[in-house]
Formats: sequence, C-alpha cells, structure tokens
Amino acid sequence: MNPAPVFTFTCPVKTNSGNKALEHLPVELAGLNAGNPLIITSRKAVGQKAIQTLLDAFGDSGMTLGLFDGVTTTANPDLIEHLKSIYLEKKYDAIIALGGYGVVDAAKVLNLAVSLKTADAHKLSPATPIRGHLSPLVVVPTAAASGLETSKFAHFNHMIYSSEYLAPNLVVMDPRLTRGADGKTIAATGLAALGRAVEAQISADHNPFRDAYSFAAIRFIKENLPAAVKKPSDKKASLAVLNAASMSGCAASDTKSARLHKLGQVFYDIQHIPPGVIMAMCLPHVLGDDLKEGACDLAALLHPLVGDDEFARTPAAKRAETALAVLGRFLSDLYGTLGKDLPRNLKEACVPGYRMEDILDGLGQDEEGRYLKTVVERITG
Amino acid sequence: MSIVKDIQSGRKPLKRAYVGIFLWFTGRAIQATARVDQEVKKEFDNLPDDFTFSLGCLPDGPCMVIGKEKGKVKYLGSNPGKRHVHVRLAIKSVDAAFLILSFQEGTAVATTRNRLITDGEVPYALAVIRILDIVEVYLLPKIIASLAVKRYPKGWSIGRKLGGRIGVYTRTLLGI
Amino acid sequence: MLLPDYYEFCCRVKIVAGHDALEKIPDLLIERGAKKPLIITDKGVAGAGLIDIVTRALRDRVFADLIADNVPPDSDLRVVNQLAGLYHDNACDAIIAVGGGSVMDTAKGVNIVVSENATDLMAFSGVGALKRPLKPLIAVPTTAGTGSEVTQVAVIKDHEKHLKMAFGSYFLLPDISVLDSRMTMTMPPFITAMTGMDAMSHAVEAYYCLQKNPLSDAHALAAVNMIYQYLPIVAKNPADQDARLSMAVGACLAGIAFSNSMVGLVHNLGHATGSVCGVPHGMCMAIMLPYGLEYNMHKREDAMAGLLLPMAGEAVYRDTPPAQRAAKVVSLIRQLNADLNTITGGRHARFFQEVRDRDGKPMVPREVLPEIARAALSDGASIYNPEDTDYDDNLMVLEAAWEGKPLDRNKVKKG
Ligand SMILES: [Fe+2]
Repeated sequence: MNPAPVFTFTCPVKTNSGNKALEHLPVELAGLNAGNPLIITSRKAVGQKAIQTLLDAFGDSGMTLGLFDGVTTTANPDLIEHLKSIYLEKKYDAIIALGGYGVVDAAKVLNLAVSLKTADAHKLSPATPIRGHLSPLVVVPTAAASGLETSKFAHFNHMIYSSEYLAPNLVVMDPRLTRGADGKTIAATGLAALGRAVEAQISADHNPFRDAYSFAAIRFIKENLPAAVKKPSDKKASLAVLNAASMSGCAASDTKSARLHKLGQVFYDIQHIPPGVIMAMCLPHVLGDDLKEGACDLAALLHPLVGDDEFARTPAAKRAETALAVLGRFLSDLYGTLGKDLPRNLKEACVPGYRMEDILDGLGQDEEGRYLKTVVERITG
Repeated sequence: MSIVKDIQSGRKPLKRAYVGIFLWFTGRAIQATARVDQEVKKEFDNLPDDFTFSLGCLPDGPCMVIGKEKGKVKYLGSNPGKRHVHVRLAIKSVDAAFLILSFQEGTAVATTRNRLITDGEVPYALAVIRILDIVEVYLLPKIIASLAVKRYPKGWSIGRKLGGRIGVYTRTLLGI
Repeated sequence: MLLPDYYEFCCRVKIVAGHDALEKIPDLLIERGAKKPLIITDKGVAGAGLIDIVTRALRDRVFADLIADNVPPDSDLRVVNQLAGLYHDNACDAIIAVGGGSVMDTAKGVNIVVSENATDLMAFSGVGALKRPLKPLIAVPTTAGTGSEVTQVAVIKDHEKHLKMAFGSYFLLPDISVLDSRMTMTMPPFITAMTGMDAMSHAVEAYYCLQKNPLSDAHALAAVNMIYQYLPIVAKNPADQDARLSMAVGACLAGIAFSNSMVGLVHNLGHATGSVCGVPHGMCMAIMLPYGLEYNMHKREDAMAGLLLPMAGEAVYRDTPPAQRAAKVVSLIRQLNADLNTITGGRHARFFQEVRDRDGKPMVPREVLPEIARAALSDGASIYNPEDTDYDDNLMVLEAAWEGKPLDRNKVKKG
C-alpha cells in the first residue's frame, strides 16, 4: 500500500453512464436542488446535433434552459464576468457543461465565479480560497475529452486552478453524444485517459481507492480503444473509452507525479495538440526510462492491461517489461490503424520550430523539467 | 440581445401517450389479475385494507393508481386524491418509462439501472413488484416476458397460463 | 470488465487512512470552517478507550469535549432528537461519529435534524427528500465490516410508533471517513472474524449481483484481495497494526462497492435470520456467503470465477481449470470460515446449527427456518439477486446452511 503514514483520496463526481442517461438529468438536477440550469458549450466544437440531443432530453420536464454555445479556446475573464452577471440576474441554479477541454474549464471557473457571487471574475486566481461546495456543476462530455473534465483542475487563462470543489458533481455519459466522432478524435481521448491512468497506477503515492479508478480505466482503454478507433459508430466501445476518460480524471486529481500529463498539457496550451497525442509519443520513453532505473512500479500495469490469465502466467520478475512491451504493441497497432491521422512525432504533428522554445520553457527549469526536455528531444522525429 | 438564449424544453406527446395508455392498460390488468390469479390475490390479501400504490413517471407524467376498496382491488385512475399512497413507484422520465413499458427493461432490470425511485415501506414495495411480475407474465408472450422477469415461471399449469391469460385480457378490456 | 447498458456510481466521501489518520481531523474541520464538533458514539466504544484516542488527536486544535455516548445498539428516534438538541444548545458546527452501524445511522439522523432545522425527521424519510449538503460529518468506523462510513442510507427506528424509517440520499454520505488502525486494534478475534466476513460478503455480493458496474467491480476486487489476505492475520494477531489498517481499508472498499452495486441473497436471508433469531449480522454473512455463491452460480459463474485470482493469487489460479474456478472460490470461503472457527476456538460459527448464545443455547432452532424464509420475502436485497427467490427457494437454502451441507445446485430452480 501507500508508504506515506496517512493517505487520502476523494472523488466527488457521481457517474451516470449509458442508454438514456441524459433523460435522467431533470431528476438529477432536482436532487441537487436545481431546476433552472445554464448550459455552457461550444457549437463549433460539439455541433448542433449534440446540443439538440441534450435539449431534447429535457422534453416533458417543463423546464426552461439557458444556453450559451459560444465558448472558444480564448475564453477569458471578460466572458466569465459577463456570463456570471447573466447567471445571477436570471437566477440560474446549476451549470451543465456540454463538451470537453476548454468548455469544461470555462464552466468550472464560471461556477466558481457565480458561487462566490461578489468576487469580480477578473480577480479570480488559483489563489482564491474555496472553502466549501460550489453551485451544482454537471459535465456532459462528447467524444472529444481531455479526461480532466472530471478532475479538480481547471486550466483557464494561462493559470491552473485546483480544488476538489471545482470537480463536477455529476458526469453524464450518453452513447448518443460519445459515439460517431472520427477515429482520430476518440484516439486522442483514449490516449489521454491511458496516459493519466498509467501515471496514477505506477506513481509512488498510489492507494487502493485511487487504484480502483486507474485499474478500470486502463482495462477499458486496452479492451475498447482499438474497436472505437476502427469503428467510431460502435456505441459500446466509444462509451467505454469515455468512461475511462472520466475515471482517469478522478485518478488524476489525486496523482502528484504526473510527467506525461505535464508534457501533454504544455503542447496543448501552446500548440493545441490534443494531450493524448503527445502523451502517446512520450509514454514509451518515460516508462522505458523508469524500467531502466527501476523507478516506478511498472509491474502494476500488467494486470489491468492483459487480464487475469496472462497476468497469472507471467512471472513476477517479468511483469514490468511485459507491461511495457504490451503497451508498445498497443500503441503501434493504433498508429498502424490511424496512419497519418495520429502523428508519431513532433515533425508529423507539424509543430513549428519557433514554438519549441516556448514549449521547452513551459516544462520548467527544475530537475523534472530538465528530464522532460530530454523526452521532448526524443520525440522530435 | 443576450448571449444566453432561453429555451423552453419541448414536449414528447407520442411517448407520453403511449406511456399513458400503457399505464391505463396495466392498471386495468392488475385489477383483472387480482380477480383471476390466486397468487396475486394472496399478495393483495396480505396488504392493508386501504392499501394504495401508484406507478407513474416524473416530473408530472402519466400515472396510475391501484387501491384496495372493501377487499377488492381497483384501478383508481391517475390521481390518488386524498388516499394515503403506501408505495410510490416513480420512473425518472417519460423515456425511461417507455423503456420499461415497452418491455425493453423489466422491473428488476430497471431498478438495477436506477430508473425507478421507490418510496414507501420495503415489504409493501416488494409485494408490488411481485404482483407486477406476475401481471407481466399474463400480459406478454413468453419470449418478451422472459426478458422482463428474472425467472419465467415453469410450474404454471396450462389452465393458469391460458385460462388466466384470457381472463386477464377480457377483464382488462372490459374493465371488470 | 463489462460496461452495463446503464449504470450509476457515486462515492463522494473523502477517505483518510493511516496509523494516525485521526490527527488529520482538526485540519479537515478547520478547512470546512468548523471547530466545535459533537462526538457521537456508544458506551462500548467509549468503554474500550477509543474516544480518548480520538479526543487526544483533536484536543489542542479544536473543541473536543462534547461527547454523547448514549447511542443504543438499535438506532432510536428519541436519541436522535436529544442529540440534535445537544448540538443546537452547544452551537456545534460538525459531527464526528465514532462507532459501528448504529452510531453512523444515528449521526446521519442527527445531521438531518440539525441541518434542515427539522422538527419532524419523518418528513425527510424515503429517497431523495434531501436536496442540499448537510453539516460536515466525519465518520470514524470502529469495526472493519459494515461499510456504513461510505453508505448513503440510514435507518432510524421510532420505538414509540413502531416505525422503521429509511433515509437514502447522496447527501447522507459522510464528508470524510477516517480509517485509523487504532480504532480496531482492541476488537476481539471473534468479533473481528464476523465483521470481517460481513465486509467479505459485501465485496463478493457486489461483484455478482445485478447492479454491478465497472467501478463497483474495481472496488470489490481490491476489497476481496485485502480481506481474504488479512482477515486470518488480524484474527490471529489482533495487534498487527498494518494488517488492521489493511482490513479497515478492505472493508471500506467493500462498502463503496456494495453501496453502489447492492447485495443479494446472502444479505436477504441474513437480514431475516438476524431479525427472527437475533443472530449478529456478520455471523449470518459468514454462514450464508457460500450459499449465495452456489445458489446464483448458474447465472454468474464467470463473475465468481473472476474472484479467484484476487483471493488466492496466481499459483492457485493457474492450477485451477477455468471450469472449476467458481467452485474453488466457494470452497475457499468455506475454508476461511473453518480457519476462523479454529482461530476463535469454535466461536466463529460455520453453519446455523452451530450458532449459540452466551448461555450455550442454540440461537437458530431448525423449526424457525420457515419463519425466516417468509421474513426474507420482505427484504429489499432480493431485488438485486441474480436469480429469483421465493419462499421455497429461501427454505431450501436455509436448510442447507443450517446443516452445513453444500447446496445441491441441481435443485436450484433456474430461470
Ligand atoms: Fe452487511
């Protein structure tokens, strides 16, 4: 178990997943004492069909819904302040974030703003003290998810907010919204989930509560991502990938050492490459180094990756290297399936040379930052 | 113009109508089964004299109420009025009700999928679920009913199956 | 790992676990703006000196002198109201519940009254009556078994009106559960064994009952692994601190699993046996668990086989042919009961015939089995059991569990 004398774990998020999950929303909101939700989304990112599916799910509820569908990657405090005043004026009582990535980040910060009421959104910062529950926040992810939607983090305006109260109360995954994206999109979602879950599973501060989330996430990705990528209309496979993404976010909230996460995030912030793509490039290198140095418990990856039979067949001393080999094959199969749609290195990802300086700066100057730079060198291509 | 649009949630008249008709039908069927089937009769006999239960869908969807009156089981329409409702089965949405009432999900499966909110004393609620299971076996062809209930009864005599089914159907339609 | 067509999972409780986890409580309270908790417990827990350990951990940082130790073994509405009064009179701002199931239930009831300013607790009974977070509630379990530190239900009895009120809401989940090895160190082997088997039954039933889902599965597998490994150790060496903590963690994982996936026949018949004969819950669980597995095996053989690896480890798993893995799980549970029986000098009963009260009188005479079988029809756990159960099924299983003979699986009516 965890070597620390005392360990803690929290996952404040309730999970609803599956057929007609959206139609339970009116009852779920009522359970949170809310009946007048504001939907925050990006029409450009999720599409009109997804928005209409969500709105239709409220059919027969008699509710009135607010809809803001213009979240962009450049959402800023002005927008939050504007939305906050509308929220308060129109007496909305919950936020539903439809989508992933920046949509959810903005929704989390908006939730902070409306819950604190008096604070000017421009003055919010990661240092703003959060002492208790915020207003209800529901996340409804589509196929394009970073996995951090369910986490306690919000990346907003070049800052990282972190508080367990920022995590959503509820995540609702419905196959009507999670299937049908292209293979490239679902691959990025799945690979980010894999990276975060792997990181949680092997880090020294793991504990059985968090392991439950990372174990299930790794198993789901291994079993379902190839099918979801080959056939994005596969309802069950894509829903399983989104489940894994959600679980990986819960695990990520409590993981301290997160090298893959950091690499993925830096490239996302500066170049808008989905973090999963970068995490997949880096994963073999980072884990390979770990194996050489015996630094992390890579053996813990084998069971979720291969299941009972193969795990029981593999001698304890071989588990770490077998796990790494399995991961390597898994990734190369995906590269094989997706071809040009999944870049294998920074060159294929068309990261311009002039951006590299910013990216390397973003990795920091400490020991970890210096190490991560060596990883970046190896994925340049 | 505000950047936030207000949208009135729509209606689902077709599903609502189906659910409404089906609840009406099930209500009548329970009344009929209680006359025809010994086991259902026994379940009702063990319940209090003013026993009432409702099956409906949230937030204000169709509903049916069954109650005992002077020892007889009656379908009481959609509104319990002033009667005390001992067991309230509430389906979370009209769509979930559609899943259940079109037999894509049986009562037990729907419960395990958190589609139903059960309110009231547990022994009463269980009696209601047992009654609904038997009624489903009467109403549906085996192939559908065996999906809806956990264990399709093997021990039923041909008489109970056929005689009972005909009895339930005629009584349901005639409302006796 | 299967993805059900639809599932829900929720455990919002913050888990704090360790050999001195109690010392974290002051910080956790202060973070939540609280500094004057009401400590709710029972005489047994206080008498064992456990409250002293708790108050010592709090004393310098927060107010720790308000202790109510009058929770009866069966939760009682009057006590709930009295403790709520105490909370108000002393302007408390949080609740710390130290004990087992009844203490947790009582504390949850008190929390409803004080948070909602309720005069009539009944108004909040049922599912979904609570709509907002309650006052901070910290649960400190003193048995590694019930899992009530992570469940969203409470049962309060109104002894005057002979009513049993059930409450269910995610807002009833404690904010924090503190798992500290010192809280279970003094539990005698006999109690340790049966509460441990209660936890085991939560994990196992959660893994094969109808509401199972990937997250409850992951918690259940981890729980089975820890409980199977550490239960015999703590029964033998009560002072083994690391093993005690592992049991507390295992029981909590099992609690998270079953509060999301629910339990089936084992609890169904176990609750009925408890209410008809007064047999302790954990003992019913230990006796019934092999039978629950046998009764449902034709529907859930794969899931049951999946318990073998976390229980027995790689070697046993490899040596058992796939078709025999589920049966092997049953025999390992029986063997565990037998081992606990030996360790406790015969006090841990293996079948109902063996259960005796303090005076050595049999607690479950064979003649009451029909009454138990009938009572079980009124218990909600039957809904989540994979196979249907009626009176005859219940009686058949109870007869076998009384004699201690494996269930004749050919006689199970299969649907
Ligand atoms: Fe139990």
